[in-house]
Amino acid sequence: MSIRAGALRGVFGAPVSRYDQASAMWLLAPMLGVLLVVAVFPVLYSFWISLFDLRLTRPHRVPFVWFENYQEIFQDELFWQSVWRTTSFTLICVAAIMVIALAMALLLNEEFRGRRFLSAMLLVPWAIPYVANGLMWKWIYDSGYGALNGLLFQLDFIDKYMVWLGDQHKTLWLIANAFIWKEVPLATILVLVGLKSIPADLYSAARVDGANTWRRFVHITLPALRPSFMLVVIYETMMAIRHFDLFFILTEGGPAEASHVLAWHVYVETFRKLSFGTGSALAYIMALVTFFLAFWLIRTLGRKL
Amino acid sequence: MTQFRRRDFLKSSAAAALAGSSTFGALGRAFAADPVNFFAWSAGVDQVKAHVSAFEAKTGIKVSYGNAPWAQYRDTLVTKFVGKAPLDTLWVSDAWLPEWAEAGWLAPIDGYPQLTKYNSDVDDFSTKSMMWKGKQYGLTYYTDYMAFFYDEGMLQKAGIGAPPKTWDEVVQQSLKIKKAGLSEYPLMLSMARETWLIEFLSSLVFSHGGRFVDDAGAAVMQDKKKGAHEALTWIVNAVQKHKIVSPACVEIGELNGLKSFTSGQHAFAMLGRYRVRTLNDPKQSSIAGRVKQAMMPAGPNGKHATVGWNRFYGLTTAAAKDKAKAADTVKLIEWFGGKADGQYAFQKLMFLDVGSGFATKPLFKDPDIIKAYNQYSDIKMYEAQQKLAQKKDVVSPWFGEWDEVNGTAFQAAVIGKASVEDALKRSADTWNKLRRRA
Amino acid sequence: MFFSSIIFLVYVLAPVAWLLSSSFQGEAEITSRPPHWIPHQPTLENFEAIFQAREKKVTYETRRAGDPATGGYIPSTARNLIPSMWNSLVVAVAVVILNLVVGVPAAYAMAKIRFIGRSTSIYFMLTTRVIPDIALVVPFFLFIRTFGLLDHLGSLVITYLAITVPFSIFILVSYFESLPDELDKAARVDGCSRLQTLTRVYVPLAMPALVAVVLFTFLSSWNEFLLALMFTQTPASQTMPIVVASFASDFTISFAFINAAGVLAVIPPVLMAIIFERYIVSGLTAGAVKG
Repeated sequence: MSIRAGALRGVFGAPVSRYDQASAMWLLAPMLGVLLVVAVFPVLYSFWISLFDLRLTRPHRVPFVWFENYQEIFQDELFWQSVWRTTSFTLICVAAIMVIALAMALLLNEEFRGRRFLSAMLLVPWAIPYVANGLMWKWIYDSGYGALNGLLFQLDFIDKYMVWLGDQHKTLWLIANAFIWKEVPLATILVLVGLKSIPADLYSAARVDGANTWRRFVHITLPALRPSFMLVVIYETMMAIRHFDLFFILTEGGPAEASHVLAWHVYVETFRKLSFGTGSALAYIMALVTFFLAFWLIRTLGRKL
Repeated sequence: MTQFRRRDFLKSSAAAALAGSSTFGALGRAFAADPVNFFAWSAGVDQVKAHVSAFEAKTGIKVSYGNAPWAQYRDTLVTKFVGKAPLDTLWVSDAWLPEWAEAGWLAPIDGYPQLTKYNSDVDDFSTKSMMWKGKQYGLTYYTDYMAFFYDEGMLQKAGIGAPPKTWDEVVQQSLKIKKAGLSEYPLMLSMARETWLIEFLSSLVFSHGGRFVDDAGAAVMQDKKKGAHEALTWIVNAVQKHKIVSPACVEIGELNGLKSFTSGQHAFAMLGRYRVRTLNDPKQSSIAGRVKQAMMPAGPNGKHATVGWNRFYGLTTAAAKDKAKAADTVKLIEWFGGKADGQYAFQKLMFLDVGSGFATKPLFKDPDIIKAYNQYSDIKMYEAQQKLAQKKDVVSPWFGEWDEVNGTAFQAAVIGKASVEDALKRSADTWNKLRRRA
Repeated sequence: MFFSSIIFLVYVLAPVAWLLSSSFQGEAEITSRPPHWIPHQPTLENFEAIFQAREKKVTYETRRAGDPATGGYIPSTARNLIPSMWNSLVVAVAVVILNLVVGVPAAYAMAKIRFIGRSTSIYFMLTTRVIPDIALVVPFFLFIRTFGLLDHLGSLVITYLAITVPFSIFILVSYFESLPDELDKAARVDGCSRLQTLTRVYVPLAMPALVAVVLFTFLSSWNEFLLALMFTQTPASQTMPIVVASFASDFTISFAFINAAGVLAVIPPVLMAIIFERYIVSGLTAGAVKG
């Protein structure tokens, strides 16, 4: 990606023509309009709602409660547990995605017959809807007839069928596995793009200097991939924190809240308990947290460019 | 790969946009709400459809029938109500009546004598469970209770002559069956967090002589003597210590449990009584003919009590507001919940086809019904257990929210994540908090 | 090389292959332990059920006795699958078009024109993508509900813009920036307005990026689940993920049928991705070595 940090800072002192300013405004207008409506407005509106105790089971009485909703949320142990679960989920997913994507990108970077076929197949997990992905893994993890059980049983790793999604210790990681599997293709492509932009002469020069494969990898490849890694980390972190679909299809936050993450928490609060006041507060907190996290990530990782 | 032609792209996108916008337009007009919107869970789907066809033929009123799985029914309906989806009449469970009435989603039917005249033919406890704050909210659809079934063939193979009478005997017999290699987890217990869970838990609690809530409405589930403590401890031991119940039970919903039982993997199962028709039908069950109903085992301080429930036809406030729509909907409610062409046709149809119980007293004397039932089960056992069925004690306007927490708490104890005391305390605290807030 | 390719392929394709295999198995076969990796008795009955599910009038005579729970049950919602795919298509196409209309001019402006507020616009656009979907659902739901627009595909289209526009613009800006500025100046000298420069010069050159945007946007829209779940109440307006999800939670349905539905849900996006595969890498590559 070529948005260079310097270019973003704007050009100090250079005159801007009136025509340029006007045409830029016109060209930007639709985007600004759309984003104001679909992004800015909801955030503001949800803040407003979060100041009320709005419960749809009791639609006639909607008291204004200032910040009580927030108080209630922060005092709820389940909220903090969700935060913890979301954090561990995100960390594991991002780490795993990076490693697997790097491996795959290295493979795809080589020239060999069938490479086009491989990269086309790579897109399959990326293209399938999360819902279908969830269904597929649910069937694989099924404790009665699933493929995972069947495979391990046939290979003699286990002697009887096990419970997978229903096991509180395993369930979050099984969901992570399904998520990682689907996210790896895009990450691979981003890393691949980075790999392709490394000039070949760097490698030849290093070979001349006597560096072996491993040293070339560590001293040339990895540093050059920093921007790509940064992009992958930021993007996948955002995706993992907000992820909902798999949790809905696979476990609905269970069993006994073992997979109760923040996004699920917001959903339950809002659409099961029908408490839109606290639900909005939660959504707002989540939006703020992800916003600051993104900001921080771009700042710290972007500096190392 | 041929060059992507910009013109083609523009052409096809313009066509798509036109198609799209006309679809949007059509959608906007589509909800003219002419048919009566009837929503139910997916039981007896063909029976409902057949009865609806007869209604349409007789009255000329169109009916739009939809259904959703029972396991997610409450969540589906709540989303529909909140999203103001078109809905005129629907099946409702007794547990949700206070909540939905308070939220303003259900309308009383007291003003429709053509419906209330059927009350005289219905069991008193059934009518009472459709009342909230003195008003009646529907006609009964079906009434039933949680039953205890056993596979007689498997018991005989293990050398057991009679079904267990207490929960301790269940453990002993299960261990014997397990040792004989006949079943790995002899007791099928469904503990997935879904609409059924509260019924399973209530029957376990009641048969142990306990309760969730006392008559005054205060939480007693955490009480070691009067509450759910004994029952939950028994379940936890069954799963963790004796291993007679699969640890996957928290993942298994009622339907999967039913499938599992019919495939011969268990000796005992706790299921709705009406399931016996399926259990003993050779076309649907591989253990057909061997399933018998026994009285619910009793806990050391309990009796053979079980939980009874009532589901009914509700009328939505949206329908009640529009006079013409209300009239049509009331006709449909009468056709299903009352008499159709002078007969309790639907109730009988559901019983004969699907085995669902009814609360309409005259049908108990119907010879077809008696004959049909005795083909696959024992009608004396049916009545005997029904006498000991208790109404759920947690029915309240905050039932939905409490049920989620309670179900999760019980699950946590079963999988060993929390102790029995902690789980029940959490449940009790939530009940009290919700009660105070209401 | 060969060995790693095999591992690669297995990791990427094995689960999907299993999905495919399961969809061709009959009810009885699918519950075998251990599972049959390749169907011993392949059957098309699951797909037939989906394509032939029609609203048939059921009368007392034609009703099916017995409980649907015990097998061979094709839910009445099966007939919603194909129409829901149509809904998904309509929404996705509308979103793609709007994305292009809104995004291309904005990206061009941000990449090529010097104006006050340029970096602000870029940051603004990026930060809006950071907002999680669930944070959008709550306010949107209340707002749309008040206006009675729930169940209208239009509300889905508008909300999907929130999750697609930022990323589309991001891709386009990157690509535009990699195109030479001189073309712009040359076109201006020839008397073109900014808009004409955009449409006549840059858009044809940015085809790979445009295709990448179309693909990303189409897929994001096609696959989106949460917003569709909340904003569609009736089968008439439900999109494909919702219908497929409803199968998954209904245990009366046979596993084989669910897998078949999954396969059908997967085919359109996978086909699109494979056909446009080469554009994805080149669309994302801005000014890099030609690959």
